[in-house]
Amino acid sequence: MRIGLFIPCYINAVYPEVGVAAYKLLRHLGLDVDYPLDQTCCGQPMANAGYQDKATDLALRMERLFETYNYVVGPSASCVAFVKENHPHILEQAGHVCQNSRKIYDICEFIHDVVKPTALPAVFPHKVSIHNSCHGVRELGLSTPSERNIPYASKLRDLLSLVKDIEVFEPKRVDECCGFGGMFAIEEPAISTCMGHDKVMDHISTGAEYITGADSSCLMHMEGVIKREELPIKTIHIVQILASGL
Amino acid sequence: MSSRETILANIRRNTGTRQEMPDLSAMETIVYPDKLKTFAEVLAAAGGKAVELQPGEEVNAVIRREFPDAKRIASNLPEITCATFNPDEVEDPRMLNGTDLAVITGEFGVAENAAVWIPRTVRHKGLYFISNALVILLDKTKLVNTMNEAYHLTAQADYNYGVFMSGPSKTADIEQALVFGAHGPIQVMVLLR
Amino acid sequence: MSTRHAIAANEFLANKENEVWHDNTLWMVRAKRDKMSRSIPEWERLRDMAFAIKNYSNSHLDTLLEEFERNATANGAIVHWAKDAEEHNRIVLDILKQHKVQRLVKSKSMLTEECHMNPYLMEQGIDVVETDLGERILQLMKLEPSHIVMPAIHIKREAIGKMMEREMHTEKGNFDPTYLTHAARRNLRELFLHADAALTGANFAVASTGEIVVCTNEGNADMCTSFPKVHIATFGMEKIVPNLESLGVFTRLLARSGTGQPITSYTSHYRRPAEGQAFHIIIVDNGRSEILAKPDHVRTLNCIRCGQCMNTCPVYRRSGGYSYTYFIPGPIGINLGMLRDPRRYADNVSACSLCLSCSNVCPAKVDLGEQIYRWRQALDRYGVANPEKKWLSWGMKVVMDRPMLFNTALKFAPIVNHLPRFLVYSSVNAWGKGRELPAFAQCSFNEMWKKNEVK
Repeated sequence: MRIGLFIPCYINAVYPEVGVAAYKLLRHLGLDVDYPLDQTCCGQPMANAGYQDKATDLALRMERLFETYNYVVGPSASCVAFVKENHPHILEQAGHVCQNSRKIYDICEFIHDVVKPTALPAVFPHKVSIHNSCHGVRELGLSTPSERNIPYASKLRDLLSLVKDIEVFEPKRVDECCGFGGMFAIEEPAISTCMGHDKVMDHISTGAEYITGADSSCLMHMEGVIKREELPIKTIHIVQILASGL
Repeated sequence: MSSRETILANIRRNTGTRQEMPDLSAMETIVYPDKLKTFAEVLAAAGGKAVELQPGEEVNAVIRREFPDAKRIASNLPEITCATFNPDEVEDPRMLNGTDLAVITGEFGVAENAAVWIPRTVRHKGLYFISNALVILLDKTKLVNTMNEAYHLTAQADYNYGVFMSGPSKTADIEQALVFGAHGPIQVMVLLR
Repeated sequence: MSTRHAIAANEFLANKENEVWHDNTLWMVRAKRDKMSRSIPEWERLRDMAFAIKNYSNSHLDTLLEEFERNATANGAIVHWAKDAEEHNRIVLDILKQHKVQRLVKSKSMLTEECHMNPYLMEQGIDVVETDLGERILQLMKLEPSHIVMPAIHIKREAIGKMMEREMHTEKGNFDPTYLTHAARRNLRELFLHADAALTGANFAVASTGEIVVCTNEGNADMCTSFPKVHIATFGMEKIVPNLESLGVFTRLLARSGTGQPITSYTSHYRRPAEGQAFHIIIVDNGRSEILAKPDHVRTLNCIRCGQCMNTCPVYRRSGGYSYTYFIPGPIGINLGMLRDPRRYADNVSACSLCLSCSNVCPAKVDLGEQIYRWRQALDRYGVANPEKKWLSWGMKVVMDRPMLFNTALKFAPIVNHLPRFLVYSSVNAWGKGRELPAFAQCSFNEMWKKNEVK
C-alpha cells in the first residue's frame, strides 16, 4: 500500500513542521509513504471565493501527482474535504473522472479508520482543547456534528486517548466555526475576527494550554488572533501531538 | 390566460423529475412508558397545569378550588354547574370579552407536546382564546404518543375548525423573556379524568 | 473588497454589548433546539421524511394545488391565485373593498412582507394592524423584522418601553417584559374586537382536505379570525402538504427547530368558514414556479420557515438581520434573495464562512451552505463579482498552476516576516486589522524534502 502525502500550500509555506510530523507518524506506523514533489494547492481558496473554474488545472495536476498511489493522505481536513467533495464535479466539467476523491483521507481519519493503531509512543503532558473544524466535522465526519441527533463520536478524541499524560477538553460551543473560511476572512474581516476571538476565548475557558485540531487553516486563523491580542493559549496541529516523541 | 392557468402552466413546464411520496407508516416513532406522566410534565414545561381528578372529587369543586377568583365562567357543558353563563347563547362573539374562565372539552391529548386536540364544539371558537383562563376536560385514557398518531385520529374525523392547544398563550418577543398571556388565556389547566 | 453586508456588519459590531447579547441569546435558542431534537430518537428519520415529502410535494405542485383548490372550494372557501406580489395585493384589496373593510388585523406572514402588502393597503386607506407582539412593536416603531421567527430580537426592552409610553400610555420607565406584554394585550384586545377583516398566513395548506394550518404561540391568528366577518389566508404555494399524515412529520419538526418548544401553543386548522364569515384563500406564486426549474436551488422550496438557520449561523448572530440586503436574512435569506434577483442581492453571499451548520440544522434538509457556495460560482456570470477577489483568485491560480513560481515565491516569502509593520499591516490588509499574519517558514516543506531534511 503506497501512500502519497498531500501537503497543502499553507502547510508547505507556513507550517512545514506539520508535514514533517505527518510523515514521521505514518512512517512510524510502518507505512510506505512518499511525497510527490512540487505540490501547490487543491484550489479551495479560489473555489470558495467563487472561482471554481480556476481550480480545474490544480485538480488535474493533483490527479497526475497522486496517480500511482493507493491512498492520498493529508494533514488538513478542509483541503481533503474539498478534494473529496468538489474535485469530482470540477473535473467532470473537464471530462475527467476524479480518482483522488475515492482514495483521499485526512490523516486522522486515515489512522483512525484504516491503520487503527492500538498504541502510540506519544507523550504530551499538557491540557489541550480540541478544535472541531467545520469541514472536518460536517464533511469528513471526524466528529459528530452538534446539530445532529446521532451518538457522539470523535476520531480526534479517540486518537488523543493513545497519548500519554494528555488532558483533553472541548469548548462549550463544540463545533462552532472559528471564522476562517478562506476568502471570508478577507471579505468579512470584522465578523471573521470576532468569530476567531470568540472561539479562542471558548477554548481558553476550558483551561487548556493548547488548541489542537486537524486543520492548520483554522489554527492559523486563531493563532493570528492569539498573537494580536496576546492571549494565554497556543495552537498545535494534532499530528504534532501524535508524533511527539518520534 | 387566467393567473391560475399561467401558474399551473409554469409549474408544469418547470417541474423536474416527479418524486415518490415516502411511506410514512414505515417510520418508528417514540412510545412513552407512561403517557399521562409525560403529558403532565410537558404541559408544566409549556406553562400549563395537568390535574388528575382524584376518586371522590367532583369536577366543579376542583375548578372552584383552582380558580377561586373567577367570576364570569363560561361553559356549554351541562355538568359544569359552576358556569355563570352559556357562551352559545351569546349572539356576538365580541360579547365574550371579559370572560374569566371557560370550561371546554378536548378530544384527546398528545404526550410528546402536551397538545390537546379541540375541534370546535362551541358556537364561537373565540371563546378558546378570549377567556383569561381555560379548563380543558380530557379523558385520561385518550392520550397518544406523538403527532403522527394524532393526525391518524384527526384524519378520520370531520371538523370545521380545530386546534391543537399546548398550554397558555405565550410570547418572548421582548428580549426573549417568556411571558404568558400574550393575547389568549394566561392560564390553562387540563383536567384529566 | 467589502460587501454591503460586511459594511453593515461593522456597524452592528460597533455596539459590542448588543452584539454579544444577540449572539448569546440566539445561541441559547439553538441550544434549546438541540435539547428538543435529542429528546426525539427518530429526529433524523423525521428530517429524512420531511425532505422526502417536500421532494414529492415540490415535484407535484400542480396536482396538489388543484386538489387543494377543489377541496377548499367544497369546504366553502373562495380560492384565488396570484402570480406575483402586485396581483396578490390587488386581490386582498378587492376583497377588503368588497366587504367595506376599514381595519384589517393580521397575524405574522413573511409572504405579506415579501409582497410589501402593508404599505400598499395603507396607501389605500386601510388601517392594517399587525398583531404578533414582535411585529406590532416593529410596526409602531416603523422598523422591519430582523429575524423571521423572532422579528424584534434586535430591539432592547428600553426602546420598546419608551415607544409604548408614547403609543399605549404605559407607566414611565417601566420596561418589565411582562408588564409591557400585558399592556400590549389590552391595547390589541380592543383592536381585535373592532376589526372588519382578518388576514393570516399559513404554515401549511393541506391538499387532501383543503384546510389551512397556522401555528402561533400568542394565539393572535385565532384572535384575529374569531370576530370579523372576513378571513383571508394567504400562502406561498410551496406551503402545500399532501395530507394530514404529512403534518405528523412537519408539526413535530417546526417548533422544536424554530424555538426549541415541542410544539407551538396553537396549531390551528381552518377547514370551513365560521357561520356568517367569508373565507378567502390566496395561493401565491411570485417567482416560486421559476425556482422549480433550478435544480441547484430547488430545495429552498423545502423551507418551512423555522428560522433556525439564522440562530445557528455564526455570521448572522454577530451581524444581525439588518446587515443583509434581502428582507429575509441569514442562510435561507441569502439563497432566497439570490433567487429573487441575483444582481440586486449579491452582497449577501459574502456573509458565510461555509461552516455548513445551517445545512445540518435544517429540519427539511435544505442544502443552504452548499447553495451559497454555488451562488458564489455564479457571481462572475451575473457581473457582480468583486474585482479584487477575482484578481486575487486569478493571481493564486497563476502561482499555484506553476510549481516553479510557487516554490520561488515560498523561498522569498519569509522576507515579508521582516518587513516593517506599517507596510504589512496597512489599510489594504483586511486580515491584519484584527489578526497577526502567519509567519512564513524559513524553508518550505517542499524544500526540506528536496534537501532530504524530512526523512
